Amino acid sequence: MNDQAMKQFLLHLDETLKLGRKFIIQDLDENHLFISADILDTLQAKIDDLMDQISFPLAEKRGIKHSFFFSQKS
Amino acid sequence: MGPPKRFSGKGEGRASKKRKKEEEEAWTYEEDDTNDVEEAAVPGAAARDAEKNDQNALEDEFGAKDYRSQMALKPDNASRPLWVAPNGHIFLESFSPVYKHAHDFLIAISEPVCRPEHIHEYKLTAYSLYAAVSVGLQTNDIIEYLKRLSKTSIPDGIIEFIKLCTLSYGKVKLVLKHNKYFVESPFPDILQKLLKDPVIQECRLRRNVENETEELITQTRKIFLHLVQSPVLPGTKLETEMGLQLQYQMISRISTKKSITKKEEEETSLQTVSFEVNQEKIEVLQKRCIELEHPLLAEYDFRNDTVNPDINVDLRPSAVLRPYQEKSLRKMFGNGRARSGVIVLPCGAGKSLVGVTACCTVRKRALVLCNSGVSVEQWKQQFKMWSTADDSMICRFTSEAKDKPMRRSWEAEQTMKWLQEQEWGIMVLDEVHTIPAKMFRRVLTIVQSHCKLGLTATLLREDDKIADLNFLIGPKLYEANWLELQKRGYIARVQCAEVWCPMTPEFYREYLVCRTSKRLLLYVMNPNKFRATQYLIRYHERRGDKTIVFFR
Repeated sequence: MNDQAMKQFLLHLDETLKLGRKFIIQDLDENHLFISADILDTLQAKIDDLMDQISFPLAEKRGIKHSFFFSQKS
Repeated sequence: MGPPKRFSGKGEGRASKKRKKEEEEAWTYEEDDTNDVEEAAVPGAAARDAEKNDQNALEDEFGAKDYRSQMALKPDNASRPLWVAPNGHIFLESFSPVYKHAHDFLIAISEPVCRPEHIHEYKLTAYSLYAAVSVGLQTNDIIEYLKRLSKTSIPDGIIEFIKLCTLSYGKVKLVLKHNKYFVESPFPDILQKLLKDPVIQECRLRRNVENETEELITQTRKIFLHLVQSPVLPGTKLETEMGLQLQYQMISRISTKKSITKKEEEETSLQTVSFEVNQEKIEVLQKRCIELEHPLLAEYDFRNDTVNPDINVDLRPSAVLRPYQEKSLRKMFGNGRARSGVIVLPCGAGKSLVGVTACCTVRKRALVLCNSGVSVEQWKQQFKMWSTADDSMICRFTSEAKDKPMRRSWEAEQTMKWLQEQEWGIMVLDEVHTIPAKMFRRVLTIVQSHCKLGLTATLLREDDKIADLNFLIGPKLYEANWLELQKRGYIARVQCAEVWCPMTPEFYREYLVCRTSKRLLLYVMNPNKFRATQYLIRYHERRGDKTIVFFR
């Protein structure tokens, strides 16, 4: 995901109060946001979740040789 | 990006020879295969797992287990090709001189887990052992051969597991002969045991009502055994042991076509006992037998079927089977009858030729079940290319049905009725892993077929539906090794690449705020993905490559 799309994800989290509160202090430019420092850990965890969701889990699947064309896990 | 998509619709088609028809019906099963409450009856032994047999083994800091107490290394271990771990996993050296034999054997008794270049990992499971029994291996053969191949002694738990899973399996068969169903077994005591069960007594058909103590039908059949003599490998102690009669194959149409080398013929007689069953009670019977841990193997004695007309269709001389295709078909027709089961071959390895050959071997009315209209067309092409079947013999039955059976315009309902009335010799299920158990059961209630062959490139083992396949179609008869076929040039080299196509910020923004159902749509329509795909298609087109695009 490029930074611009990621920025949209953060804006979305902020607007919908997905992390419990607003955390964006200032929208700087198309690649940068100024956010409050204390939210960083929660936010990183949330982003990790997102990345896990959209990546193909290579390591987990041992029988991958046999099934990688057909099974895309989310 | 975003949630994975479900298949929203699927076509199903069938091609069949003689008065054939095919059909494509749009089945929509958005959610219904996930909440399939009805569970397939699975014998108790199948639920057992060897995986937990090694829980008391000591583990080192990296998670490696110490099996030394359970596996004693043999002095001549260097000339033996494999290890059998107490948890049922088998590790095979692919560079061993006896690799080929060990590999053929492991394919028959276990599931491949991972097969990189040098060490292959397999796993013994209840289903794999069930499949082994169904292709003719006996409990003792399996244990003895495994002992000979292993670098160490076989853990006691594994021997127990093999016994547990194989002793009761494959001993009883359901056979259709002259349109009558029989339960047949070479073991009279097992049949007697089954007959003591009240449910099974109900299913038994007695032609002679007065004679309550009707005898079991005993018959002796002459069969020919081909003993496969393995090549002698100088320098290995195992050379004599490898010649085991494990891989005997009985004459099948396929093997007689080819010149048989290194095989000798031996005449043996096989005695079997059987009792007739009431056709209407077949389902009850099958279920009960599974509960009693004696699942019925279904076999079709097509050569002695005089009720159903022969279909005059043969393989063209130009149709030459590759060794692995022949091997897979031998597993199916190994004893001169057609066994139901699943054959697993990678994409491009010629699954359709296997299907066509199976149909030409049975030579009875055949039905091919496909999962898309395109696939129906391809099957028709394949039949015309490999067999003597022509347009007059093949009938496509799809939603756009062009070929009307009996040259009349039939409504779909009537067509279904017609399908229902036929007694089919063989039903081929293409891409069988995509057919959910529920739909499969539905097809089974409509179509009566003597034998079922499932073809697929993959058995998704993490999916419990595989258990259903085992008992709805039959065991896995053969699974080819992708890497090996690739190495020998039978299939194209596979190269995989993952290309990320980020959405543009504006597009992603819309995606994040919209409803789930609409999300699916946006996800598919990601403009960057389209551009990337378009680029790749153009690139390969210019090089003259063939291209298939899958998307979900």
